[in-house]
Amino acid sequence: MRSGMRSRSAQWALGFVALVLGFLSIVQLRAQAGGVGLANLSAQDLTTLIANLNQRNAQLSAEVTTLTIQARDLQQARAQGVSAVGGLRDDLTRIRLWAGLDPVTGRGVVVECAGPMTADAANDLLNELRIAGAEALAIDGVRVVASTVVAGPPGGLSVENVALPSPFRVSAIGNPINLTAALTRVGGIVSRLQVTSPSVRLTVTPADSLTLPATDRSLLPADAQPRL
Amino acid sequence: MTTLLERARRVPSWQFTLAGALLVLGFLMVAQAAAEPSRVQYTSQERPPLVATATDLQKQQDGLKAQILNLRAQIEQLEASSAGNNALVTSLNDQLQQARIAAGLVDLQGPGVVVQLEDSTQPIPPGAAPGDYLVSATDLRTVVNELWLDGAEAIAVNGERITATSGMTDIGSSILLNGAYLQPPYQIVAIGPRDLYDRLTTSANFARFVKARVEGYGIQLGAGALDKAVVPAYAGGVALTYAQPAPTAPASAPPASGRTP
Repeated sequence: MRSGMRSRSAQWALGFVALVLGFLSIVQLRAQAGGVGLANLSAQDLTTLIANLNQRNAQLSAEVTTLTIQARDLQQARAQGVSAVGGLRDDLTRIRLWAGLDPVTGRGVVVECAGPMTADAANDLLNELRIAGAEALAIDGVRVVASTVVAGPPGGLSVENVALPSPFRVSAIGNPINLTAALTRVGGIVSRLQVTSPSVRLTVTPADSLTLPATDRSLLPADAQPRL
Repeated sequence: MTTLLERARRVPSWQFTLAGALLVLGFLMVAQAAAEPSRVQYTSQERPPLVATATDLQKQQDGLKAQILNLRAQIEQLEASSAGNNALVTSLNDQLQQARIAAGLVDLQGPGVVVQLEDSTQPIPPGAAPGDYLVSATDLRTVVNELWLDGAEAIAVNGERITATSGMTDIGSSILLNGAYLQPPYQIVAIGPRDLYDRLTTSANFARFVKARVEGYGIQLGAGALDKAVVPAYAGGVALTYAQPAPTAPASAPPASGRTP
């Protein structure tokens, strides 16, 4: 009788301890899992992230506005039985230009690359120009699209199977001030290359008017199909 | 000594279990308490509002992307059924569809590969840079660029389509792509030729990457061929502020294969 009671209370005690233990284990695990993601970014990184998100969201909002107007115009044209051919043409021009299917012109910068530049450095340069907001890129007359990659050994670089001369020029259309600042800032690609490859010289020059050709690539996939 | 042992033997076994459990409990409580000060410090500083702002902005971004995809689908339908000269409307719609595919504005599927990269779990030796043990934007670009060279036709990282204007950069221990904040594990999905996996894994660039990053720092790498890879559409803007159509652009657009040779 007594021992039965004792074991009953022991079971309660054990059960209670197990409960607290389980709770604490989960709290502890959660605290550790929380370390992944935003929680382990420093205040400075968070500030950078917020600036990036703000900028991006502003672009996305602008696109939503453009698309909303476009959809409304198409609906009105349909309701009134009016031809929407003009709207379709505008849409086509807009998408083709962005994709690199048509030649483009505008302000920007030209980066002259002299010396034994590596393919990685050339691809880094393209990446930095894209991050800085370049809208269209070309390397020595070859339009850069998503799949354009510089390859080959230093001194023997090529892009889309076209050998690059030395020096070669990367042209970028976009805000010349932002593009120049991004490349020439402390820790930017120009200063990094000065350290890692002193014999490579990058010269960034703003340009009032650049014209970049359309891509030579077929951007229509052979292996991929639209997903229905 | 013997009395002690005898006394111990008389103690019911549940007391040992309880003692064991209490020991673990005590350990966990101390661990919890030890972890507390840093969190208290955070809450008294500027971080929480920043984390909240960033989280809100991410949610806002997801909403805007969904809106863009919705509106594009709506516009595509309206354009396909718009009034006007039938032959011209049909032709323009065909060209629009091709341009959308070329621009990355359409979900694609096909044979391909998936490559997964994750931060190293190796202990970091004293004096080593912890950042070297994390997957960097450079790591992702190395793999993505090799996939392009191997003939990939469409690539996305964690669902973010890579386009002509996509840049990738490090932020803290994570990566920004198309202005979206990506976290590990990073999944690169590419559609391309049937032998894309073989081309990738036998390339010199990939071998160099494996040696330097996987063997060197324990970056976790997984790769496999896919019969049906899916690469989602780009959910971003295609507005150009500085770039205009060049005056030499033909009035009627050539097919989506670009400049006619």
